[in-house]
Amino acid sequence: MSKIAAWFEERLGISAVVRFGAQKQVPLHKHTIWSYTGSAILVFFGIQVATGILLAFYYRPTLEAANASLERIMTEISFGWIVRSIHSWSATFMIITVFVHLVSVALTKAYRKPRELTWMTGALLLAVSLFFGFTGYLLPWDELSLAATKVGTDIPKAVPVVGEWATKFLRGGDDVTGDTLSRFFILHVTVLPLVLLLLLAVHVYLIQKLGMSLPLESEIRGEKAPGMSFWPNFVAREAAVWLVLLGLLITVAVLFAPSLGPPADLMAPAPEGVKPEWYFLFLFQTLKLFPAKVGFVSGETIAVLLIGLGALALFLLPLIDNRPETRKGKIVAAAFLAFLAYALGMSVWSLL
Amino acid sequence: MKILYSLFSRRRFLNGLLAGLGTAFAGTFVGPVVRFVTPPYREPDEVKLPLAGYKDMAPGEVRSFPWGIKPGFLKRRDDGSFLGFVGVCTHLDCNVAYKADQKKFFCACHDGWYDEDGRNIQGPPPTPLRRLTAVLEGEELVVRKSEA
Repeated sequence: MSKIAAWFEERLGISAVVRFGAQKQVPLHKHTIWSYTGSAILVFFGIQVATGILLAFYYRPTLEAANASLERIMTEISFGWIVRSIHSWSATFMIITVFVHLVSVALTKAYRKPRELTWMTGALLLAVSLFFGFTGYLLPWDELSLAATKVGTDIPKAVPVVGEWATKFLRGGDDVTGDTLSRFFILHVTVLPLVLLLLLAVHVYLIQKLGMSLPLESEIRGEKAPGMSFWPNFVAREAAVWLVLLGLLITVAVLFAPSLGPPADLMAPAPEGVKPEWYFLFLFQTLKLFPAKVGFVSGETIAVLLIGLGALALFLLPLIDNRPETRKGKIVAAAFLAFLAYALGMSVWSLL
Repeated sequence: MKILYSLFSRRRFLNGLLAGLGTAFAGTFVGPVVRFVTPPYREPDEVKLPLAGYKDMAPGEVRSFPWGIKPGFLKRRDDGSFLGFVGVCTHLDCNVAYKADQKKFFCACHDGWYDEDGRNIQGPPPTPLRRLTAVLEGEELVVRKSEA
């Protein structure tokens, strides 16, 4: 046995990776708990890949068959209902964890020099995750998913110059049709996974290269936090968290399996009480509130430009907040909290 | 005239040339790919409906018809002629419903309202519903895109 291991070791040199893991120190301080969110996201992503592959064995991305194939998965295939339920809930859990991860990094200002690119790749990963959710939402092809996709793909139209083309590209034409469904499916199962893995590789590489950040206060005071070896000590603690989350996920997935509406009808009016996935609710409510016209410009254009500006500010946050320990840093933190409060408030309002 | 000093080394020149040619070569693929991923428009120029299905409409009544792959609505005017609408909300493209009891078109996505002539009266819709012209040709009702 050890001979076989030695044969592989001579060729692969895996022990170097293990040594790196053992040398890598996770600093222990009052914000260390947030370090668990990163690997939790990876766990949920792994579950998405596994359950997604299983669903794709039976799912058919066409206008005629999509809804029926999902019905078959949920009623005829052994364990089909729970595979779909886990895929749907794991998406929600992943997005929640992504948000917690983002907020913790923003509030501890862990994005400060030299970790700007780590934050930026993270922001792009958030965009990819949301796009995953958006494309996945259409695939059941029921009334709700059709209405949500019509609205979602119409939003870019309000962007000057490239908007029309972007909408056409997303839809595969001027309207949401069977072409949109094929397109969303292929984006969901090939393009987005590849993009996500690529960004993830850069994100994780940067974390290894730059090491884990210290709290801003201790860095200013020049303190050194005590550390814990990443492998195997910290990973063992993370594994305990993964197990708890897995238990939670499966419990929720069993108790609250998602429903499937009747097949989407391109001619039917939008169903009443239509709402997007919870993480788009604040955008939904914003679009609902903007009046038809603000001065000479359509309210929609202004809303979309504001949303775009907000997204850009989030992406560039480390460059905007370039002196985090000064008064400017406090203002940025306050603005971020105000944005959080806005998003939360709007989401709650949309549910009333 | 002989240039004494070169601003470029031969290596830099060749690298730049290679990169430029490579970019230009890759660029020739962009156009076709961009056009491939955006198919041509397929809204119909006109739709022919058998008059029999719409003849019995009372003045002011609204009835739906298929405008290509989108819902359309026909309204009977008081003088007996027809007025057509594309039943798609001008805000964010959801299909609208006609509420006969209130004589209004309603979009459920963001609470948009239009009156019976398709004028946007409440909520976020920025413009009226798109109008279509409907003319009688023998036993057929021909619905066309409006010029205006």
